[in-house]
Amino acid sequence: MDELDLLKKDWKKNGDKYPKISEKEIYAMLHKKSSSIVKWILIISILEFIFWVGLTFLLKDSPGSKKFESFNIDHITIPLTIGSYLIIGYFTYLFYMNYRKITTTDNVKNLMSSILKTRKTVSSYIFVNLAYFIITSAIILIVTFNKDGDMISLVNKMEAEGKAGMVYLIYILGAIIIIGLLVVLIWLFYRLIYGLLLKRLLRNYNELKKIDF
Amino acid sequence: MSLELEKSFVQQLQENQNLIHKICRLYTNGEDAHKDLFQEITIQLWKAYPQFRGDSKFTTWAYRVALNTAITLYRKKTKTINTIEFDNKLHKIDQDEYNYEEEEHIKLLYKAVQQLNDIEKALVFMYLEDKDYSEIAETLGITEVNARVKMNRIKGKLKNILNP
Repeated sequence: MDELDLLKKDWKKNGDKYPKISEKEIYAMLHKKSSSIVKWILIISILEFIFWVGLTFLLKDSPGSKKFESFNIDHITIPLTIGSYLIIGYFTYLFYMNYRKITTTDNVKNLMSSILKTRKTVSSYIFVNLAYFIITSAIILIVTFNKDGDMISLVNKMEAEGKAGMVYLIYILGAIIIIGLLVVLIWLFYRLIYGLLLKRLLRNYNELKKIDF
Repeated sequence: MSLELEKSFVQQLQENQNLIHKICRLYTNGEDAHKDLFQEITIQLWKAYPQFRGDSKFTTWAYRVALNTAITLYRKKTKTINTIEFDNKLHKIDQDEYNYEEEEHIKLLYKAVQQLNDIEKALVFMYLEDKDYSEIAETLGITEVNARVKMNRIKGKLKNILNP
């Protein structure tokens, strides 16, 4: 007899050996909070959206950007602003559509792939934002060096001492450090999500793909 | 959700709870983890219940949600609990029907199944529940041929675990 068929025999008569859970206990369970990974992924994803959207608005209202507006460079700032709204709108829509597809009545492989797709939307959003942030920082630096009166006089003053290069270097280094900090933050989020939440899912997903090569 | 819906859900789950216990048994070790997974499956079933049309049996509908929860949604707690005591509790049977040798062998079989990975456990579960290969394949989202091939490999793997 096959090992599994032997187990099947026991499996079938095993019914009464489990502790019976009463209706009252089941009622109580219904009102407990779920700790599913989908819930955690949703919470973390929303936090990420809030962080980036918050950052976008914070930078828009900062004194620096008010000064920026006085440079009369609407042809640069308006497309950038519209771009940032489009990015938020597009990814929020995509995230919502993908999230809706996650259903526990789906088959195992589809469920996993829906979760991964939803998560991927957030990752893409972050990468696009990072690219946007780097491009905007570069534009801000270029505009500041060319249009900002204080900056021009500072550069001129330093140039007289032969140290104009220092000014450029400090500002560019500053921008790189800020972007570097952001990258570290994003990397930490990644470790959290892929390490703690998705490790098992990815392993199982790969196992299914391996069976169904 | 209405109270009536809640009542019918609780009743059906209570009557068919063995199905959930069986899945918990395969995917967890220890009483706490078993209860924890049972609770998460209950929550997920309840969330999905409004879509349950009643044109299939409650168990047929429930086992898929339960498997999905065990394999994908459930987040294992890091602490591990002593398993032996719980296993013994599950296997406590009347003295007169106690067949020591067979009982020990079954215990070893369960231990061997617990060493399989999550997907393999799902296949074993459905096999033990007498699901046919077309249903096993559909539930996992793989082809029927590959489900059969994998099942045969699992049988081989279990033999190897039991007779190293």
